Amino acid sequence: MSNPTMRSSDLVFAAGAKRPTKADVVIIGNGALGMFLADELVERQVGSVVVVGPSHRDTGASQAAGAMLGCFGETTTESLRTDAARTRFELGISAHDKWPEALRRIDEFAPSDRPMQTTTESHIILNSVGAELDTVNFAAIIDALDQYDKPWKEVDPADIPGYNPRTESRALRAIHLPTEGAVDARGVLASLERRLRHGGAILLDQTVRRLVGSDEAVTAVELDDGHLIEAGAVVVAAGIHSESLVRTVFDVPDLMPTFPGLGFAMIAKRTGGEPFTSVVRTPNRGFACGLHVVPQGGGLEYYGATNRLVNTISSVTWMADVRFLAQYSMHQLDERAAIHEVTKWCAGNRPVTLDGFPLVGWMPPSGLYLMTGTYRDGFHCAPLLAEHVANELQGKAGIIDSIFQPMRKPVATRTVEWSIDEYVTHSLAAWFETGAQAAPQMTTSQLTDYYRNMAVQTYEQLGVDYGLGPDILWYAQGNLHGARRVARYLRTFKGDGDVAQPAGATTGTVGTR
Amino acid sequence: MPAYQPSVADTVRSLVTKQLNLNGYSQDLRPDDNLWSFGMTSLTCLGLMLSIEDTFEIELPEEALKEATFRSINTISAAVESSRK
Repeated sequence: MSNPTMRSSDLVFAAGAKRPTKADVVIIGNGALGMFLADELVERQVGSVVVVGPSHRDTGASQAAGAMLGCFGETTTESLRTDAARTRFELGISAHDKWPEALRRIDEFAPSDRPMQTTTESHIILNSVGAELDTVNFAAIIDALDQYDKPWKEVDPADIPGYNPRTESRALRAIHLPTEGAVDARGVLASLERRLRHGGAILLDQTVRRLVGSDEAVTAVELDDGHLIEAGAVVVAAGIHSESLVRTVFDVPDLMPTFPGLGFAMIAKRTGGEPFTSVVRTPNRGFACGLHVVPQGGGLEYYGATNRLVNTISSVTWMADVRFLAQYSMHQLDERAAIHEVTKWCAGNRPVTLDGFPLVGWMPPSGLYLMTGTYRDGFHCAPLLAEHVANELQGKAGIIDSIFQPMRKPVATRTVEWSIDEYVTHSLAAWFETGAQAAPQMTTSQLTDYYRNMAVQTYEQLGVDYGLGPDILWYAQGNLHGARRVARYLRTFKGDGDVAQPAGATTGTVGTR
Repeated sequence: MPAYQPSVADTVRSLVTKQLNLNGYSQDLRPDDNLWSFGMTSLTCLGLMLSIEDTFEIELPEEALKEATFRSINTISAAVESSRK
């Protein structure tokens, strides 16, 4: 695999057009990953940089992101259970340290007076709405904070500014994290655009139709109108569109599938009452990232978020998701949200890999670099990954673990039995969180049996021996298209002990969860 | 004399019988019978889809990945024939 090192060269423009025909680096994707990488490359003055991506960023994850700068707030019982998961977790910790410098760089390019960093602190609440999963993840957060010697303290939930839930949904425990805040995602992207233009990068408000080259080398990209741009290196950082772009030149069965994690959130203008001054959130919940509110500045608050793996990339919003988010924001965060004015509906597709780990590294065709699969914290990790990828583009040593190489076998962190237990736990959490009703005599243990049978049967029908994450198992069980993608990919590795056996994983049953 | 080649419909019937545990009742299953009335679920349909693709070495088009395709032996056979063209 040859890794081209960038060289300086002048931009060559097509006659009469303002679009280049050559560039040292073409970045496909103008979300957080692509924009921070472009910024890093411009900062290093290592050559000409072109970023291709539609300015509306429709269907992208970054434009819809809550952009919490939180790694500990996202901790689950899985986060530190295996070596691989811990490596992924520590990616977030390293990324956290990059944000002060990242914000310093873009500050003067802010499009408005609203602060780029909207808060520097978080509160994690534990209420009884989200079932047992909330409890164990809440404990996992505290355990992780202690393991990494990070500051936190238990607080009275009633003292959290802005927090005003309905009585029956009130939290009885809460902790304060003084170093986990949030940024205004849309403000950061706008600032990066301004800074990049100022620094001489070219931003093209278009999409890429295909990569040009072969399975041995990628030499150019073809835009949606047929315009070609030759490139020394092509970085695919197009989120959920990345896999299909790579497959235009490198369509192999063992390229890991990436699924759209369609999410919905709302930005609302507060019309009264005490505002939130910190991120206020639950732990991660069933198949998703928990309920949260993120101050946005200017009297705005971001309420998020849903997550469902889907077949088709879109920016649709399901009525069920609107009901879910609006009702539970009012119930669990602030009753007065009922009369807030929604100013923006956010829908985006997180890039979710089959093994849940990012895909970052050179691809077999020379000149092709892949940077995606960051699921729900791509925004947070973007400054760190930008530094890593810029290093690799320059032929220098990277700064993240090699576990994230894109052509890896799927990382194994759980047995099938563990996967089934996890699926049951998440399904129960979702059952209670969504307000599902069963007859009083329909006990939790009966529901547990039902979900366990579903999971066991799904594995039997799929015929795979790789332990899937609960969200992927839910997706594969729910539709034929998803099932086929999961089964076909994993059968490529069937019988491969390296894949079936979790490396460094604790096996056995989940126990009391 | 050429070896006996089962028809697409015969092979589909065999796969359906196995997937839905219809042994002993297989001959009662008519080509147009609604399999969803014979105990098929979304999960057994999933396994049936994979076994159909494996057995016939085909990949059904995405638009065929829906419950209606797997309604009966006839609809499945039609989808297989269409994918083989």
